[in-house]
Amino acid sequence: MGRALLWLGPSLLLIAAVVIYPAVQLVRASLGRYSLTGLYLGGVGLRNYARLLEQEALPTVIANTVTWVALVVGITIVISLGLAQLLDASFPGRRLVRWALIVPWAASLIMTAKLFGWLYDYYFGLINRALVAAGLLRAPLDWLGDDATVMGAMIAVGVFVSLPFTTYVLLAGLTTIPPEVYEAARVDGASGWRAYRAITLPLLRPALLVAAVLNLIYVFNSFPIVWTLNDRNPGVAHDTMITYMYKIAFKSALRDVGLAAALGVVNVVLILLAVLAYLRVARGPEEPA
Amino acid sequence: MSKTYTLAGNFCSMGSMTSRRLLVLALLCAIAAAGSACGRGETKPATIKVVIAEYSRDHTRPFWQGLSEQYTKQTGVKVDLQVIDWNSIDQQVSTMIQNNQPPDVLNLNSFSSYAKDGLLYSGDEALSPKTREDFLEAFARGGTYRDKLYGFPILASARAFFYNRDLLERAKVTAPPRTWDELAAAAKKVQALGGGVIGYALPLGPEEAQAEWSIWMWNNGGDWKSGDAWTINSEKNVQTLTFLAALANVHRVTQVNPGKTNRTDGAFQLFKDGKVGMVMGFSPLAAQLDAEGKVRYGVTQMPTNVGAPVTLGVEDYLMAFKKKGNQEAVRQFLDLYYQPEQITRWITAEGFLPVTKSGLARMSGNEKLKPYLDALPSARLAPTTDPVWDKVKLDVQQTIGLAVQPGGDPKQVLDRLQKNAAESGR
Repeated sequence: MGRALLWLGPSLLLIAAVVIYPAVQLVRASLGRYSLTGLYLGGVGLRNYARLLEQEALPTVIANTVTWVALVVGITIVISLGLAQLLDASFPGRRLVRWALIVPWAASLIMTAKLFGWLYDYYFGLINRALVAAGLLRAPLDWLGDDATVMGAMIAVGVFVSLPFTTYVLLAGLTTIPPEVYEAARVDGASGWRAYRAITLPLLRPALLVAAVLNLIYVFNSFPIVWTLNDRNPGVAHDTMITYMYKIAFKSALRDVGLAAALGVVNVVLILLAVLAYLRVARGPEEPA
Repeated sequence: MSKTYTLAGNFCSMGSMTSRRLLVLALLCAIAAAGSACGRGETKPATIKVVIAEYSRDHTRPFWQGLSEQYTKQTGVKVDLQVIDWNSIDQQVSTMIQNNQPPDVLNLNSFSSYAKDGLLYSGDEALSPKTREDFLEAFARGGTYRDKLYGFPILASARAFFYNRDLLERAKVTAPPRTWDELAAAAKKVQALGGGVIGYALPLGPEEAQAEWSIWMWNNGGDWKSGDAWTINSEKNVQTLTFLAALANVHRVTQVNPGKTNRTDGAFQLFKDGKVGMVMGFSPLAAQLDAEGKVRYGVTQMPTNVGAPVTLGVEDYLMAFKKKGNQEAVRQFLDLYYQPEQITRWITAEGFLPVTKSGLARMSGNEKLKPYLDALPSARLAPTTDPVWDKVKLDVQQTIGLAVQPGGDPKQVLDRLQKNAAESGR
């Protein structure tokens, strides 16, 4: 027992320091009242949670969050399935393409978001210039200022940065499928789309599960993209629950650390529930627990 | 120190990118806790923590680093210097205070909430008489809370009206506008040049909307407050905001979506690119324009609708936090900064304006600063001495842009701001 603890010690300490301690502090902060400067003024029990429900912006923010997460994760997985298939096939230069795909993953999210901010710009942006030149747009669009296009523009960037990781998870899944299975299928007369649906997708299920769950968590918690691309827009019309939390604490007239911490706790609980629900549905009846 | 990250860390602790940063923080905390030599002595702390906002990459850290070294040499007290960018300084300072680890000296653009919370030394406690008497009257007043100086002026800036000489000449506008009518007329002529040229660049996005709005408001005879009462939705102010909405949506002489354009990345960027006829700027913009040499520009006073032109003066502050045994050390640090050659050297390097009489005397010969120094006497400050302002400012930043969007309702936006301000004051 003592020896085991000795071995486990460092990682236990680390978990305590980077997971448990902040979590405890977050819950504690959510039960307190703070002055604008951050000074602790005393406990208020669950009142911050009750006040959270009274916030007018909450329904908008929740709807934004659902749209953001569902579309980014959904689109990412569909595109990644195709990309993974492509990278699984052998062609000259495959190694190079595989490396190239890692780039958006390796780049800092804030830098990527800033770069896209310029690409989307109404006056300077390359995207407008290209679309107008190609005749797809008659006049430039203010992608990040127009209420109709902000969310779509942010989702596109969210998908772009999520593709590498997802594609690699699915590619790893594809390489575990033994070629014999396809051979057997061909002998039985199944090929192409039919083989993909009957063999590839079912056998990819574990990889798909991993990709979906991890993306669900990453995308829900993603701060830099929404924060950077939405920085010009007043109010909270395009915020997700993560950026809304930050605005409550530091950038809105509420300027309330306790209320923001309460939302932080709610966020953690929500994402846990979402992941559990997803696992339940996705695992299905196959593996009785 | 072992409690350095709570909320700030938690905000991102679930994100993939930030878990590594948390880890680093945790390690730092462990190290700091192990060697906690931090001031527990009664007489003199071993170290003071000095938190400074980053005004520029080139000048801020080098200056404060040098000042800290000089201070340590003189007093034997070490300086834990933290230079923090403007985007995250509010969050980081809040976290320090939540964890009962406030800085000893803090530089920020607001002070009254800290004074209200009883966290600060007053000028009598933390500054020598010579330093106190050297402050320019208006800036000392701007740092006063309940008749005592708590926000020590660190530097100042003043806005001025910038115009693109080439565009105005091409549009046959012979002189920069003096009145709002002339401004609207000039903006129409410039906008009519076509090819993506913008008459007047109006940044009412969240970054600095309160600054742009203050100038318009004052030049129509309106104000934030009258005596102790907020007057954000006064008739004059509704008229002003309606005028701005008309510039955007009726005359169409602003850039696209002015309510969703920030200052630095938006309006200034467009002006620097030569696309804009007129914009409200300040001395750092002039420095950038000079460095790039692309735009031939002029600087003049604000156009006004009522009375003499008014501009916005902005004053940032140094604060001294009350901690056991640090008073003498903090006083020595501040007195060192406020020595005329120190403060003037820094303010000159950053391109800002003096806040002391001795500094004004030294800098008044500087030709480049002349338009701003001339504007200083007519400059007004935002009501930073009222702690409620710290909330009103954020509220204005997050809402006023909505009033100039198509379909926006200036009166409704101002009514709401007024209501929130009045309620916060209670």
